[in-house]
Amino acid sequence: MSARTKEGGATTAPVLRKLAVAWTDFEARLDSTPLVRRLNRGLLTIDDYRALLMNLRQQVVDGACWISRAASNVDEAHFELRSTLMRHAATEHRDYRLIEADYVAAGGRLEDIRSGAKNVGSEALSAWMFAEASKPNPFGLLGAMFIIEGLGSIKAAGWGRAIARQLSLSDEAVRFLVYHGANDGDHMTEFEAMLAMVLPDPAVEARIVRCAEVTGRLYAMQIEDVR
Amino acid sequence: MTMLRDVFISGTGAFLPGEPVGQDRMEDYLGLVCGRRSAMGRRALHWNGIDTRHYALTPEGRPLHSNASMCAAAVRTALEAAGHAADDLDLLAAATTQGDYLAPGHAAAVHGELGCGPLETASFQSVCASSLMAAKAAWLAVRAGEAELAAATAGEFSSRWFRPHFYEGTALVDAKGRLAIEADFLRWTLSDGAGAAVMQPRPAGRGLGLRVDWIDMTSLAGRFDACMWAGSTKAARHDMKSAWSHAGPEAGFAQGAMALLQDFDQLKAVIRAWVGVYLDKVDAGRIDPAGVDHLLCHYSARSLREEIVRLLEQTGAMIPEARWFTNLATCGNTGSASIWIMLDAFLRSGRLKAGERVLCIVPESGRATVGFMMLTAVEGAGR
Repeated sequence: MSARTKEGGATTAPVLRKLAVAWTDFEARLDSTPLVRRLNRGLLTIDDYRALLMNLRQQVVDGACWISRAASNVDEAHFELRSTLMRHAATEHRDYRLIEADYVAAGGRLEDIRSGAKNVGSEALSAWMFAEASKPNPFGLLGAMFIIEGLGSIKAAGWGRAIARQLSLSDEAVRFLVYHGANDGDHMTEFEAMLAMVLPDPAVEARIVRCAEVTGRLYAMQIEDVR
Repeated sequence: MTMLRDVFISGTGAFLPGEPVGQDRMEDYLGLVCGRRSAMGRRALHWNGIDTRHYALTPEGRPLHSNASMCAAAVRTALEAAGHAADDLDLLAAATTQGDYLAPGHAAAVHGELGCGPLETASFQSVCASSLMAAKAAWLAVRAGEAELAAATAGEFSSRWFRPHFYEGTALVDAKGRLAIEADFLRWTLSDGAGAAVMQPRPAGRGLGLRVDWIDMTSLAGRFDACMWAGSTKAARHDMKSAWSHAGPEAGFAQGAMALLQDFDQLKAVIRAWVGVYLDKVDAGRIDPAGVDHLLCHYSARSLREEIVRLLEQTGAMIPEARWFTNLATCGNTGSASIWIMLDAFLRSGRLKAGERVLCIVPESGRATVGFMMLTAVEGAGR
């Protein structure tokens, strides 16, 4: 850990604190959605899991697209952040194929998941992401990334393992969730580096936190809508 | 209109039964479930970092005290320190995870043990944070002028629940005689004791007094299932109608619903939720980490502390570890009693100086609750 981090970085600490509060609120909301309650209680059904994948896929398809759009709206003064976002989009833009493979391994039909529609929460989340990404220097989206990547690094792997155990599925059927948990390990360090590229700036800081709050609410709504 | 008054802790007391029991002698007291040594013990002890603890039992399982009598002893000590006796009390607020009886409340049992005259009682039953629920009742009563002298006490007699006959013959023990982890872990974590604090509208007569600035409690039970509980099985606990109280004591026992249990997977999310409540208070300016001179945090295990330190450092919310005070390693995790046992030892340590602020934090995994108490050291009235 760098000395700057150890001291709680004067630049990033306040925004990280607000983001951590937004994240824990998001996690508690997520844990109280019907689907995650069933998962935590050991009552998940295979239909629940397939419905989750079906709903996630429609939103994950958009994920790399809004990050790319955000990257294209980052100006020259923030060139490094643009590079990071482009790398990020490249890493994620095939993720939805993993979801499709999991869906098939879990007994679903490829044509079904490909022809699935977004639920109301996914529609809201996606529209919000694209609207935000279309603004010049859309730094607020770092808050959205904090929420979604936190989900990957903190929740996904545990969910994947619990789903495989509860539904007696092979590892092949939970790769998207388990892979995300394994790959997003050091996202806080990476995230701090991104923050440092746009801070200090009180307006940007406030926007990042607001975006995290909105993204958390809409994401929880998406999961609430999985039926 | 009556003015709200400043309230001070004018005395504290701790009661730890028997001699300190080392790690190698724990099973002498708790007994062997189905005659087997626990496979969990070493791992749990490494996790919680507790060297010695106290049990209110003899190695044969005979009780030396009751939960209520230990609380009464702690209250008497606290009253003595404040220069008072039990008959001076206006209010007795008592907390525990599980009292000696199912009903009436724990405060009635403690009052009975004190054997003093009429007073007001209030019982608080939860897990660790019940201590601060009782403290808040005592604080508010004195603050509002409803009481001149109030005692808050908390006690646990956990070991009796950990004896073999609470598990043998239940679904918590498998065909090979192994106890389920959700039950066994707590046997290696919790132990017995009681603590108390006495509150008055003036500081202690001599030495340093502690002003109680505020007590904040936050429950997140609306968002989480129970994380540490007794009364239902792990699988059915989300359904209140599954509880032993509906099934009856015999069926409840057979299901393993009577034992104290912990869900470890859920604990991780609950820890994050507690940290979130703390960070929110830092962000709102309710807690200024730089302005806290001493932190007394009831963390139930050393490893919990390690898990959260990095996040606190990254978010500028860390209180430097040199300011943390604990006696968990030597006194054990006594649940609700821990914060008073810790505060009592802290005040005796001589570390506290006039004007310093002491933050007490009591997270409770029970159903995701956390309590905070801010204290300020003031010179005693006699100086």
